[in-house]
Amino acid sequence: MSNQAKTRTVEEINQKIRKGDAQVLTAEEMKKLVESSGVEVAFKEVDVVTTGTFGAMCSSGAVVNLGHSDPPIKIEKAWMNDVEVCHPGAAVDLFIGATNMSEKLPFEYGGGHVIQDLVAGNEVELRATAYGTDCYPRTSVKTTLTKDDLNQFYLLNFRNCYQRYNCAVNSSDEIIYTYMSKLLPRFRNATFSGAGELNPLMNDPDYETMGMGTRIFLGGAQGYIIGEGTQHSPKNLNGTLMVKGDAKKMSPEFLQGAAFTGYGTSLYVGLGVPIPILNEGLAKKTAIQDSEILTDIVDYSVPRRDRPKFGQVSYKELKSGSITVNGKKIRVSSLSSLKMAKKVSQTLKSWIDEGTFFLTSPVERLPTKTIFKPMRQTEEIPFVVSVMHPAVTCTEDEEIQAIAKRIVTKSVNHIVVVDEAGKLLGIVTSWDITRAMAEGKKALADIETHNVFTAKPDEPLEIASKRMAQHNISALPVIDIEKKVLGIVTSEDVSKLLGR
Amino acid sequence: MARILIRFSEEQVSEPIASQIIIEYKVPMAILSAHINSKGGEILAEVPDAILEKVVNAFRQRGVSVSVPKLIEVDSDKCFSCGSCIALCPVEAISLAKDSTVEFDKEKCVGSTCSVCVDACPARAIKSIKQNGADYSAKDKVKKS
Repeated sequence: MSNQAKTRTVEEINQKIRKGDAQVLTAEEMKKLVESSGVEVAFKEVDVVTTGTFGAMCSSGAVVNLGHSDPPIKIEKAWMNDVEVCHPGAAVDLFIGATNMSEKLPFEYGGGHVIQDLVAGNEVELRATAYGTDCYPRTSVKTTLTKDDLNQFYLLNFRNCYQRYNCAVNSSDEIIYTYMSKLLPRFRNATFSGAGELNPLMNDPDYETMGMGTRIFLGGAQGYIIGEGTQHSPKNLNGTLMVKGDAKKMSPEFLQGAAFTGYGTSLYVGLGVPIPILNEGLAKKTAIQDSEILTDIVDYSVPRRDRPKFGQVSYKELKSGSITVNGKKIRVSSLSSLKMAKKVSQTLKSWIDEGTFFLTSPVERLPTKTIFKPMRQTEEIPFVVSVMHPAVTCTEDEEIQAIAKRIVTKSVNHIVVVDEAGKLLGIVTSWDITRAMAEGKKALADIETHNVFTAKPDEPLEIASKRMAQHNISALPVIDIEKKVLGIVTSEDVSKLLGR
Repeated sequence: MARILIRFSEEQVSEPIASQIIIEYKVPMAILSAHINSKGGEILAEVPDAILEKVVNAFRQRGVSVSVPKLIEVDSDKCFSCGSCIALCPVEAISLAKDSTVEFDKEKCVGSTCSVCVDACPARAIKSIKQNGADYSAKDKVKKS
């Protein structure tokens, strides 16, 4: 065996692309080849593996330069199709953020849609205002624009292509609307995102071939990795990319505006990275399969940074349509499009095959040690657990008389009704007792409220307080996930702490 | 043809209400599904568009609850096959084909009385549409006895 056969260079691969005899496989095809013929053969036969993903990537946007109006304006505030766009620099440079929402159609149309409209060649309405200066006297402008009218229109996404992502569930009793889409109560569905074994970073987890200057597929055109994305967290396989590309050349098929009910708008981005198979190690890495890629099942109903987890699942299970959580089978579906991810990797493959796309070596590889820190907070906010106190309870077979006595001796307004295991059944208030007296009712069942609003110990107090105000009640039993009563929080506790 | 969902209460099941209406209005009513026992029940039926309103009113005059399920329409140009809707659908009318295209089975779909998928579509490709422009479901619903 000669040493030659053990490695190959990007330049050698580009030579082959020029001649039209580079061997390119999609990540999907590579896995099959390694499985059937082994790593050694795969390394010998394959020069490039193309990856792909197509998902909602909120930290996306576009830089545009409008050119100067006459008289010129130094824009202070601007809107495109009623979506406020950011004006971070000089006179007529704007940044369209994907999650900024239309003032007329919030939650339905936003920056992501503006980008898609521009990319599609549609006319977009621009409105801008300014305070006026000696050099930029104009104070307002209104016009329509297409991408051809713009000097620069660059997609500039500061966090794309998460290596993997959480699987989301909802343990609460109410539907929640999140950036992980609609989550039905009591674990009735689960959602996940990411292409798993097709994801670019997953196929080169040590970032041997990726970094600043890596040419990629971005939104249907050629683009570049310009560094690590924000929140890049390589140590726990949550790497991200910062990318840039000429949006004028992109396609609305691979850049689609999206709307998440209750969350806001976003942009679906098609992104694919070609991985040069420089050594056997890369042939092996690109053979990674969905069954080897695990992710956490996370409870999105808990409004905290560190949400409870219910173990891990593989992308193979996620893509199968159902997973098991707490011994219960639940249906799961994807937010990112596997169909489009495949199309990205196939399109990239065809570009290389046709000799219109050449690989680059990164000027600087992606960092492998970055730590993603939480926010430094100089003020702590209170949580339910910090103010709750033991609940005064009763059982369903007790007489109203006895309960009334307890209200007096314990000097409380709420008695929580529990079963023998301490699980929540209902609530009785001093008002209910008064009403029972007035109406001559004797049975607890006649006055007890069964549909009880509750709080969880790790909820911010503010959220529990809002719940009380919203339902015009003055206390919430605090329960755990099995409905066991842990205590009670009252509006008095809230006012003492929050001063309202 | 328009689909209607007819619900009978416990008191109504013993009367031949549907038959009477079919005879009286000469309705060629196609019954798609029927679940009826002594406690009540429901019939999902198809009636011609032209006499839809007459038939609905005839049932309602007899105190029978009728709803006209609106339909769900999927814009396949807008759909980019993410699949957010799949796990939400209670009747498994949405599935992923072999090539990962999201497929929607209109036959299985129970219509807009469900609509759980509509606001979960990030592409806004799913619409709940009124059947024949008529919205019977919202107004004058007959209370269950």
